[in-house]
Amino acid sequence: MEGYIVSLIIFTAIFALFGLGLNLQWGFTGLINFGHVAFMTLGAYTTVLLSLRGVPLVIAALIGAAAAALLGLLMGLTTLRLRTDYLAIVTVGIAEMIRLVAENEQWLTQGTFGIQRFPLPLANFSPNLPVRVVMILVLLGAIALGYWQLGKTLRQRMQGIPARALRQSALAALAYLVALAASLSIVSVVARQIKLTNALPAWALGLGLLLAGVAIILGFMKLAKLGATRFEQWEKGLSWVSAIAVALFGLWLTGFAVQALYDYDRNPSKTGLMWLSVLLVAVAYWALERLVRSPWGRVLKAIREDEEVAKALGKNVFGYKLQALMLGGLIAGLAGALYAWQLTVVFPVQFDPLITFNAWTIVVLGGAGSNAGTLLGATIFWGYDTLTRFGLREIIPLEDSALGAFRVMVIGLILMVLMAWRPQGILGKKEELTLGR
Amino acid sequence: MGAIAPTAIPSTQPLLKAHSLSKSFGGIKAVDRAEIEVHPGSITGLIGPNGAGKTTLFNLLSNFLRPDSGRVMFNGAAIEHLQPHEIAQRGLVRTFQVARVLSKLSVMENMLLAAQNQSGEKFWNVWLNPQRTLQQERQQRELASEILTSVGLFHMAQSYAGSLSGGQRKLLEIARAMMVQPQLVLLDEPAAGVNPTLINQIGDHIRRWNQSGVTFLIIEHNMDVVMSLCDRVWVLAEGRNLASGKPSEVQQNPLVLEAYLGQ
Ligand SMILES: Nc1ncnc2c1ncn2[C@@H]1O[C@H](COP(=O)(O)OP(=O)(O)O)[C@@H](O)[C@H]1O
Ligand SMILES: [Mg+2]
Repeated sequence: MEGYIVSLIIFTAIFALFGLGLNLQWGFTGLINFGHVAFMTLGAYTTVLLSLRGVPLVIAALIGAAAAALLGLLMGLTTLRLRTDYLAIVTVGIAEMIRLVAENEQWLTQGTFGIQRFPLPLANFSPNLPVRVVMILVLLGAIALGYWQLGKTLRQRMQGIPARALRQSALAALAYLVALAASLSIVSVVARQIKLTNALPAWALGLGLLLAGVAIILGFMKLAKLGATRFEQWEKGLSWVSAIAVALFGLWLTGFAVQALYDYDRNPSKTGLMWLSVLLVAVAYWALERLVRSPWGRVLKAIREDEEVAKALGKNVFGYKLQALMLGGLIAGLAGALYAWQLTVVFPVQFDPLITFNAWTIVVLGGAGSNAGTLLGATIFWGYDTLTRFGLREIIPLEDSALGAFRVMVIGLILMVLMAWRPQGILGKKEELTLGR
Repeated sequence: MGAIAPTAIPSTQPLLKAHSLSKSFGGIKAVDRAEIEVHPGSITGLIGPNGAGKTTLFNLLSNFLRPDSGRVMFNGAAIEHLQPHEIAQRGLVRTFQVARVLSKLSVMENMLLAAQNQSGEKFWNVWLNPQRTLQQERQQRELASEILTSVGLFHMAQSYAGSLSGGQRKLLEIARAMMVQPQLVLLDEPAAGVNPTLINQIGDHIRRWNQSGVTFLIIEHNMDVVMSLCDRVWVLAEGRNLASGKPSEVQQNPLVLEAYLGQ
């Protein structure tokens, strides 16, 4: 259990970092990047291959991140002068190309077999008690920063709204979410009974499951619309409920993280990686928040809304877009190094387009253009992933591969409900969607 | 060609001079060997019937569109090969016919965006030199507040620009252009779709900024505005120069009257 939680924290941190990169490119600059996984792939392979040739891990990871930034430069140079949709197409192409290179250049990457037994960070580290205490304090500091930022963002979004309206809508939202989860579970349990008694052929069961899923989602989308007319601050209820749920979930995780750090020697490589990942997220978050609130970030937001205006005011739009692509790529490349260390084996299938989809889910869920939202989105995403990975197998009568597809389908459906309910994402700014020109 | 009315040759070198600019869209010659001169310190008008190519000419001057041929000289240097943002950086700023405010930024942020040479617009300075960035930002904020106050928009500074009315947007766009601290501002129909009171105010602001040294080139359909503001007027019809001269001269030019009436 503890081992699994540590892994969960690592994955959450890696994808938070990965999502922060996409949020800079898309959320703040409006660049549509459908091949975000390319940065991660390049970062992961470069780090691993260099470290296998004796390059120190820190330097290998930095070179990996730099390589990812260069890839961003390449993408930008080839497409940014063309129409905007070219970037979307080219990023998909480049991501697939890089994956294919990893698959086919066996002399370098060992193809589908994958690369194994590469050095891991902090694996031989054996800190004494004072050092462990310091590590725990640093970790707690990073987590406290996260909570503080979450609270701050929430407060900003809730400014000037009467507490009574918020309470009401939060309760309504809670009831709504519980009902949604319950309906999905009931369908699953019924399906399981049918499967056990062999009352229906497999195809009929699958079809029934699909239809039931769609019916539930459509019903709940309708309910979301209805809620909007009944409750004054209906859409804000979602922010409250999910933020509180994630905050509690986070506290629970923190307990395990502290325990793991205290017992560092029990699983040094994973514990070390967890500490490193959380720390990197905190640093990246802080650096990005500084950036997006600076004049530099202001130019990005201007480009996102109307790049002609930015040009007319003397801003080198092309240059800023390149910078956003490169910085976002750099961060995603770092996430790639962590991803490789977490997996301990890298092979091409781990870098399929689904990874990009996951990053988009995280950013959209949390709210485009909100870094705190991205952290929240990553936590919800991996919380959901864990819950369904263990929970669903018990209650949904599907094979493992079908179960994977089912989980992705449910994410898609949940995103649909979210769009009907709070299209700007959990922590996004409503004005950024609704104010037209 | 050859219909340009003779005027006294000014003693000063023009601030902006376009020579034989042309641009075609498919078969249409939107701008056809057009000439224009703007003298430093002047308020110059550019008029002509709808579709005459005025906005296209602005796009060519600011290089938002690349000319098919011709030259543009600003401050004695050729600029037709420069990127639009480089032209703005040199002090030639244009506005748009339909006001383009950034509705998802606050009015103040719209203003601050326009400031030039901000150290905080280089991302490394944000981390490495935060003090300087903050200090500059404070100065720019003061300047922006001053300009906003002078045009009567200061009370809206913290609102989203998207919540402004049409007239206020026009005003903000002009104020934002002034925030660049430009030498020359190209205004594309600043009075279009604006109520008469605000038109007068906009005229007063332009005159005030002009007196403090800013040169203007203005496209305008409202003849009262043109007559009261401009020192010199250029007339364009079907992409070509039709006439140029003092407003009163141009207004009586039979070619100009014909072009407007024949529409
Ligand atoms: N981007 C464009 N593509 C095709 N035709 C254009 C374009 N921009 C302007 N035109 C055409 O060029 C001519 C001049 O337009 P414009 O410069 O907007 O005139 P004005 O501003 O004087 O009213 C018009 O016939 C217009 O239809
Ligand atoms: Mg026009």
